[in-house]
Amino acid sequence: MAPAVRFTGITKRYPGVVALHDVAFDVAAGSCHAVCGENGAGKSTLGKLLAGIITRDAGTIELDGREVRFDDPAAALAGGVAMVHQELALCANLTVAENLCLGRMPSRGGFVSWPAMRERARVLLGDVGANLDPARPMSDLSVAEQQLVQIAAAVGSGARIIVFDEPTSSLSEGEAESLYALLGRLKARGVTVLYVSHRMPEIFRLCDTVTVLRDGAHVTTVPTATLDERELVRQMIGRELGQYFPSHVGGAPGEELLSVSGLTRPGRFRDVSFSLRAGEVLGFAGLVGAGRSEVAEALFGLDARATGEVRVRGELVRIGSPRDAMKHGIGLVPEDRKVQGLVLPMKARENVTLPFADRVARRTWMSHAAEKALTTEWFGRLKVRASSTEVACAELSGGNQQKLVLARWLAAGSRVLMLDEPTRGVDVGAKAELHARIDQLAADGHGVLLISSELPELINLSTRILVFRNGRVVGEVARVEATQELLMRLMAGLPSHAATA
Amino acid sequence: MTTPPTPNVPARSAASALARSPQAGLLAVLLVLGAGLTFAAGSHADPLTGASINNFLNVHTLIQMATDASSFAIMGVGATIVIISGGIDLSVGAVYALAGVTMAMVLRAAAPLDPAVAVALGLATCLLVSLACGVANGIMVVGLDVHPFIITLGTMWMLRGLAFVTSKAESILVPSALTAVAKAPLGLGTALYPVPLLVMIAVTVVGTAYLARTVMGRHVFAVGGNPEASRFAGLHVGRIRLGVYVLSSLAAGLAAFMGAAFYGSATSSDANGYELYVVASAVVGGASLSGGKGSALSATLGAILIVMIRQGIRTLHLDQNYEWIIIGGAMVLAVVFDQRGTRWLARRAAKNAVARPSSPQ
Repeated sequence: MAPAVRFTGITKRYPGVVALHDVAFDVAAGSCHAVCGENGAGKSTLGKLLAGIITRDAGTIELDGREVRFDDPAAALAGGVAMVHQELALCANLTVAENLCLGRMPSRGGFVSWPAMRERARVLLGDVGANLDPARPMSDLSVAEQQLVQIAAAVGSGARIIVFDEPTSSLSEGEAESLYALLGRLKARGVTVLYVSHRMPEIFRLCDTVTVLRDGAHVTTVPTATLDERELVRQMIGRELGQYFPSHVGGAPGEELLSVSGLTRPGRFRDVSFSLRAGEVLGFAGLVGAGRSEVAEALFGLDARATGEVRVRGELVRIGSPRDAMKHGIGLVPEDRKVQGLVLPMKARENVTLPFADRVARRTWMSHAAEKALTTEWFGRLKVRASSTEVACAELSGGNQQKLVLARWLAAGSRVLMLDEPTRGVDVGAKAELHARIDQLAADGHGVLLISSELPELINLSTRILVFRNGRVVGEVARVEATQELLMRLMAGLPSHAATA
Repeated sequence: MTTPPTPNVPARSAASALARSPQAGLLAVLLVLGAGLTFAAGSHADPLTGASINNFLNVHTLIQMATDASSFAIMGVGATIVIISGGIDLSVGAVYALAGVTMAMVLRAAAPLDPAVAVALGLATCLLVSLACGVANGIMVVGLDVHPFIITLGTMWMLRGLAFVTSKAESILVPSALTAVAKAPLGLGTALYPVPLLVMIAVTVVGTAYLARTVMGRHVFAVGGNPEASRFAGLHVGRIRLGVYVLSSLAAGLAAFMGAAFYGSATSSDANGYELYVVASAVVGGASLSGGKGSALSATLGAILIVMIRQGIRTLHLDQNYEWIIIGGAMVLAVVFDQRGTRWLARRAAKNAVARPSSPQ
C-alpha cells in the first residue's frame, strides 16, 4: 500500500535561513506520526507545507502515491489535508456555527439559513464528541474548545490527513487528556495524523512512528518503540544532554533582598508573605489562575490596587510603577515575551536598553556605541546567540529572546529577578541553557523568584517553593521535601500528610 | 561569540549605504520623475539674456516647489512621529488655520509693533496656540482612551470652527515685517525665496535627530512597536503618546507661521485638507500606519514627491482638473512600489546572507 504521505527532497528557504533542506520520509496510512525537533528545526514548517499554508521551494509531496501540489489551504482541504493550529485560526468575532460553515454557508436565495447552519455545526461537533453550543461566539471559548472546533472543521471537511501543530502547548492536563482520547478515535476512523511536537511523554504515548528534524534536515524516521526519551532528545539536539538540570544550591543564602508581607489585591490574591535572600531561587508553584503572575506584576508596580508591605533590603518601599521597581533593583521577565517582553521590530540593542535608555544617553542623546558595548557584554555573559546587536528581536529564537529580556534587567542593575515561565515555548537545548543561567544568577548573589508550571523545573532549580492556590499561599516546601506529588496535592487542594500549610 | 566583528567595507560604503538606506527607493523615484519632467518639459528663452532655460529644471521652479513642499514636509515630520507611535493626527490643518488667524489677530490688535517684536510675538503666538491644541488632543487621546482617528477628526472640525468664528471668516493681513523674514532673499536673485526651503531642511534634520538619536525618539518607536512591552519596561506610555500630539501640533503651528508670513495673510480656511496631504507624505515616506516604523527624512521626501507630481501637471500643461486623480493614483502606486521594493531588497539580502557562511545562530 502506498504511504499516506511521501515527502521527497523538500526544501524551503526563508530570508536568512534554510528552514527545510532535502527532507524525505514516508507517513504510513492510518498512523499517528510524530514530527519532532527543537524550535527552529523546521517541524511546523513541514506541517504548513503539507497543509498548503506555505509553498515549498523544491521537492515533491505524494498522497497515496499521487503527486500533489497545494498552493493554498483550500486546495489542501480539497485534497483531504487539514491542519489544527497552535493559535486561534478562526474568526473570533463569529459564532462557532459560522466558523464551522465558513467555507460553505448553507443559504437560500443568497440569505444565510441559520437553522441549517446550526444543525450542520451540531453534527460536526457531535462527530468529534464536542459538547459545545454552536451559537457561542468563538471569542468566548477556551483554547481547548477552540481547538475542538478546529478539529471538528477538519474532520467535517472530510480530511484524511490532519496535521496537529503543538496542540497541547496551551492546554491544561485534563484538556490534554481529552485531546488524546479524541486522537485515538480519529485513528480508529483511519485518519492519518501528523503530530508536530517536542513533548516527550505525549510522543511516546500517542505516536507509532517518530521523525526527527534538526536544523531543517531529516535525521531519522523510526518506530517510536525502538527509542527511549533520552535517545530521542539526543537525536533532536545532536549531542548528549550532559545534565538536564544544574545542581546549584551550594552557597549559603546571603542578605535578605526582598521581604513581602500581607500583599493583597482584591479578587486576585490575598495576604501573600514571603522573603527572598541573595543566592536563593524561590519557586512559585500553582495552577493557572492561582495568582502567581499577578503577585509578580504587583511587585513590579503594574497593579495600582495591590496593598501590603514590601521591603527591599530591609527598607520599606512603595512600588507604584515599573520605574520604581527598577529603581529598587527589581526586574521582571514577563510570561509572554512577545507581547509583554519585547518590542519585536526593534533591534536587540534597543530592546536591552529600553527601560533605562536615559542612562545610556548624555543629555537625551543616545550613544549607540555605549548601547552596543553594554549589549555585547551582557549577551556574552548570558550566552545569547545573535548575529549582531543590530538584529531585530523578531529574528531571535525563543530562548535567546528570553535571555535578552533577562539581560535587560541585569544590565539595569536588578538584584531581584522575577522570572515568569521563563522556559515556556523554548526548545530542549535552550531550556537547559536557561536553567544553567538561572542557577548562575543565584550563585552570583541575585535573588530569583521563579514562576513555573513545570514541576520538575521548579523542584530542580528552587531553594524553596511557595505553593499558591486561589490567590493564597497554601504551603512552603523546602527543596529536600519537594516532590511532584506533594506539590500537585497542595496546588489542587487535596489532603496530604506532608503539607506544611 | 555574540558579535562577530562587522565586516569592513570602507571604499564602496557610501554608495552602498545610500542604496541600502530606507530612502533609496523614494530617492530613485524622485530622480527618475525629475529627469523625466526635465526631459519632457521643453525650454524657453530667457527674456533678458536669451539663454535657453528648461521649463522644469530651473531655480525658480525648484524653489517654488520647495516652498510648496515645505508646509507639507514640516507637518509631515510631525505626523510621522505620531504615526510611528501608533496614532494619527487629522487635526493639523485646523491647528494651522487656528494658529494663523490667532497670530494675525494678535498682531493686528497689538500694532504698531517694532519689526523684530512683531516676528517674535507672531511666532510665539503660533507656537502657543498649537501647543494648546496638541495638549488638548493628547489629553483626550490618552485620557478618554478613544482612538486618535476619532479624537482628531473631532478636534479637526472644532478647531477649524473656532478659527472661523474668532476670525469672522475674514482674511487678516499680517505685518510686512513677517513677510520680510519669510521672503528674505538671503543673497539669492530677485523673486527667489529660500527661507521655506531652509526651514523645511531644519525641521527634517531636527526630526531625524529626534527620532534616531534621542531617548524620547526611542520611546516613540517602542510605544508604537509594542505598547504592552513598553509598559512592562517601565515607560510612561501615556506621557509619550501625549507628547507626540504636542509635537505634531507644534509642527503645524510652525508651518502656519511660515505660511501666513510668506503669503502675508491668514484666514480660517487656510490649509484646508492639508491633513490628508500630510498623512500622505508620511505614508508615501514609508511610515507604517500600524506603528513602529517611519522616518522624518522620508516624510519630507514624500512631501516633495507629492508636490513634484503637482508641479509636473502644471509644467506639462496637463488639464489641472485631473490633478487629484493623478495624485491619488500616484500615492497608491508609490506605496505599493515602496513595499514591493523593500520586500525584494529583504529577499536579496536574505539570499546573500545564506550564500555567505552564516553567522553563529
